[in-house]
Amino acid sequence: MRLGFLLGEVGNGLRRNTSMFVAVVLVTMVSLFFLGSGLLAQRQVDTLKGFWYDKVQVSIFLCTPDSTDVAACAGGGVTDAQRDQLRGDLDRLEGLVEEYWYESNEDAYERFRVQFRNSPVLDSIPQEAIPESFRVQLSDPTKYEVVASAFEGAPGVESVEDQREVVDKLFTFLNAVSLAAVGLAAAMVVCAVLLISTTIRLTAWSRRRETNIMRLVGASAFTIHVPFLVETVLATLLGAALSIGLLWAMVQYGISGFLTDLLAGQAGMIGLIGPRDLWVITPILVGGAVLLAVITSWLALRRHVRV
Amino acid sequence: MITFENVTMRYARGDAPALQGIDVEIGRGDFVFVVGASGSGKSTMMRLIILEKEATQGRVLVAGQDLSRLPTRKVPGLRRQVGTVFQDFRLLAGKTVNQNVAYVLQVLGARRHLIKQLVPETLELVGLEGKGKRLPHELSGGEQQRVAIARAMVNKPPILLADEPTGNLDPQTSEEIVAILDRINRTGTTVVMATHDTTIVNTFRKRVVQLRDGVIVRDQADGEYEAVEEGLA
Repeated sequence: MRLGFLLGEVGNGLRRNTSMFVAVVLVTMVSLFFLGSGLLAQRQVDTLKGFWYDKVQVSIFLCTPDSTDVAACAGGGVTDAQRDQLRGDLDRLEGLVEEYWYESNEDAYERFRVQFRNSPVLDSIPQEAIPESFRVQLSDPTKYEVVASAFEGAPGVESVEDQREVVDKLFTFLNAVSLAAVGLAAAMVVCAVLLISTTIRLTAWSRRRETNIMRLVGASAFTIHVPFLVETVLATLLGAALSIGLLWAMVQYGISGFLTDLLAGQAGMIGLIGPRDLWVITPILVGGAVLLAVITSWLALRRHVRV
Repeated sequence: MITFENVTMRYARGDAPALQGIDVEIGRGDFVFVVGASGSGKSTMMRLIILEKEATQGRVLVAGQDLSRLPTRKVPGLRRQVGTVFQDFRLLAGKTVNQNVAYVLQVLGARRHLIKQLVPETLELVGLEGKGKRLPHELSGGEQQRVAIARAMVNKPPILLADEPTGNLDPQTSEEIVAILDRINRTGTTVVMATHDTTIVNTFRKRVVQLRDGVIVRDQADGEYEAVEEGLA
């Protein structure tokens, strides 16, 4: 079969069945959009892990004047002597501590104000309530317990927190988002499969005269099937292209644009995915679309188009 | 060219057989009328030859190939050896005469210059020169059947099957159509035509294979056919 003839047949098929073609394009678009979102959420988790696990891992919060309910803070706010003592202790833990830095009450409050600038609670929290802290990066993050036990209950220490626990909660959330998206994608793929096979059945019906003649004059199964296959692959590829466009808009304007603005100066502190991550998953989406089209068509053609 | 060896065909288990123990040998270049009333098994014979159906028992050989042993991938090759024409023409309504005939060659992957050469040549063979640009609905029944014959013959198959090709046509036109089949037969093509038209059979005086209830009741060279025997007259 010549290419020109094949394209003519495909064109005829599309003209006759435009509405079904559009339906396949849209269903593919939505299912790949969910799949892409799931994959991007997963990449976001990976990006954040890489970013945050390298940063602050243990925070030693010091007593504020209000934290007298903690035994180690019975004397009210941390004193200069206590602070120096802790600094000395950290210096002595050279083997375990990669580096540490001190965040004063002013710095902490400033960061708090930026973080919660849109929150109504902002004004009701006095500056003294925000604890100063030592931020400690461990040379071996698994040795958290050793460092924690060295400082927990020490005079002037209100609490020791493993930041990873906080971050891990976020990861759990993002993983759930990712799973939900992939789950929806799976449901949509089932829709796409059913729709494609229905479309092929309808197309086969509207083209039964041609198909019959092809059979009679001895066209090969491949020749009879290939226009159907090309139409389906075209539809899913178009769907894939649209879904990639949507994902790009989401990453470009939603994440890189909106979220970065929202996080203002801190964007640098957080690793966000960008369009580059989308390009990495593009081959998966396009390959998935083609695979979906080819396998479904093949099965549907075997059933509905007799050779 | 076509051989039926003790062929029985049953469409469904428990049904009366459409063909029962048929033995026929059709040689290269023969012209055979397969006659009989409706339901006598004529169309079933045709269907077995192009492997539209498979015989329940016995062997059908076409162009030297045993159809019961023909692998699926070789079925298209068999069908290229056999042109087919039907009572209802089966033309593609949206395509012109030229396009209908060219369609076969396009489907089979012929080169454009070959198509340009063969299509007018074949239309001339069936007496439709100059009507290539017409659409099927602009043609008379006889002309439509000529297009169908052109389509069946354009890739020059050695066998032509015609299943009641004159069933929808008046006697005058029917005779013209069979004359075309006769002309095609003279170029060496084996022609098998199923019909119950007594006038046609008796006018052309070809070999007659008569079926009744799936059994051959007569196989006669230069045969006649009296529909009275079938109670059709």
